[in-house]
Amino acid sequence: MNDGQIIAGFLAPHPPHLVYGENPPQNEPRSQGGWEPLRWAYEHARRSLEELKPDVLLVHSPHWITQQGHHFLGVRNLNGKSVDPIFPNLFRYKFELEVDVELAEACCNEAADMGLTTKMMRNPNFRVDYGTITTLHMIRPQWDIPVVGISANNSPYYLTTEEGLEEMDILGKATRKAIEQTGRRAVLLASNTLCHYHFHEEPVPPEDMSQEHPQNYAGYLWDMRMIDLLRQGKISEVFKVLPQFIDEAFAEVKSGAFTWMFAAMDYPELPGELYGYGTVIGTGNAVMEWNLIKAGLAKAA
Amino acid sequence: MSVVSAFLVPGSPLPYVQRDNPPWGEIAAAMETTGKALAASEPDLIAIYSTQWIAVLDQLWQTRAVLQGLHVDENWHEYGDLPFDMKIDVEFAELALKKTAEAGIKAKGVDYDHFPVDTGAIVASNFLNPDGNIPLAITSNNVYHDWQMTESLGRVAADSASELGRKLAVIGVGGLSGSIYRHVINISEDKIADSAEDDWNRKILSMMEQGDTEALAKACPDYAGAARVDMGFKHFAFILGAIGGNFNGATVHAYGPLYGSGGAVVEFDLD
Repeated sequence: MNDGQIIAGFLAPHPPHLVYGENPPQNEPRSQGGWEPLRWAYEHARRSLEELKPDVLLVHSPHWITQQGHHFLGVRNLNGKSVDPIFPNLFRYKFELEVDVELAEACCNEAADMGLTTKMMRNPNFRVDYGTITTLHMIRPQWDIPVVGISANNSPYYLTTEEGLEEMDILGKATRKAIEQTGRRAVLLASNTLCHYHFHEEPVPPEDMSQEHPQNYAGYLWDMRMIDLLRQGKISEVFKVLPQFIDEAFAEVKSGAFTWMFAAMDYPELPGELYGYGTVIGTGNAVMEWNLIKAGLAKAA
Repeated sequence: MSVVSAFLVPGSPLPYVQRDNPPWGEIAAAMETTGKALAASEPDLIAIYSTQWIAVLDQLWQTRAVLQGLHVDENWHEYGDLPFDMKIDVEFAELALKKTAEAGIKAKGVDYDHFPVDTGAIVASNFLNPDGNIPLAITSNNVYHDWQMTESLGRVAADSASELGRKLAVIGVGGLSGSIYRHVINISEDKIADSAEDDWNRKILSMMEQGDTEALAKACPDYAGAARVDMGFKHFAFILGAIGGNFNGATVHAYGPLYGSGGAVVEFDLD
């Protein structure tokens, strides 16, 4: 089996507020809504994902932070209750997910072969991080597609941003090889916010949208510049300015998911489809898709 | 003074989950020794400040009466589970919340089932309060709080204990130098990854042993930067705040590597 391919990539941020605003049965706290433009953006993404019919969703989350290497979920069935340590008032979610262990192992091995330190996570009591869960819920609340969960090695913070993102580039290339070798039709999810400047106090109630706006105007301008470039498909230009964007907008893409996803897709100069942009406690979040089937870069099912 | 004992301990799970590895076993043994010293000081409660409980919006205090469960460290999951069973002194936590706000720091209580208690707090509690008999107060490390704010949190803990007439043991949970091995090593050969950081660690520990608080106050900012110290060494700031900035000396029960980073088990002499 060697005809696997990446069929799409999504920029799929993970503010737990979006789950809270939606009031799914898995989440304990109840809200009166909120953050509708972003939640409706995810509705578009969900419809597109339904048409893509992938075998597997791969998600790289900045809230599973590892120091020794890049880790991969490696237990077939994981379940539990995930409570967000920062927003426990908003996110207390009962999850149950199936891991594509074969693909995870292939990713782990390929990345190791390419020189990265890697590790499989085999502990059945492991608590999956809220970033992974929020992104997966927002893109596919049915939880009926197997997943590969990938940690965010702290290299962009421990080393320089550029050195860290070089590792994420290798990780992305290894992910692509693993997908091709295992024959999967895969969708990639980069679980990242853009500008990450945020307010330090929550409104009461948290879903009071009269209080929601960009925390930092310069950061907002950076987000618009980056989204504009992404919508035009100027990907090489995006990656030229990425370190500056990270520094000046405190952008969460520093943690690596964005670079991992584009490296895996081979940095296509392809316009991304923006489904929506919105702020969450002041941070900038965009839901975007790069559909490689529509672009003729991958085959339909 | 309400504070009857104070300790600086590492929050790495490695000595707890793999104590048969000699470099980590020394730290594990020292943690147990320290637990005995803590018990001998006969505190009514223990206040834990752990660098690994990261907060962003507010200063958080645990207000759930009982915390029980099984934790798996996100980096060291292959070494097994960290069970925990903790009693929280809720009356103390509620007062500390009030006093934190009075100190000008926005604070919030945390009372949620399955809240992810951090590795450092669990390791410290399991080693130093092995039977769980002594109630705890656990507070977070807000990443936006500086040294002075963290010292004031230590003062809040001491003042709260004083107002309630409680004898308090204080534990600052966190590492020393922060350079780590990013690749897999033979753990039996673990050592401090950077010799300059090793020198810094030893210098700081020596100042603690001598009780040279003036020199420490001057050295800590440089140390934090030069040795990539865990969270700017704020766990020590919490201790200093709680004990009023002074101690007579300290016993370093162990100092060693934790996958390249530095960790020490230190008991401060408050008499």
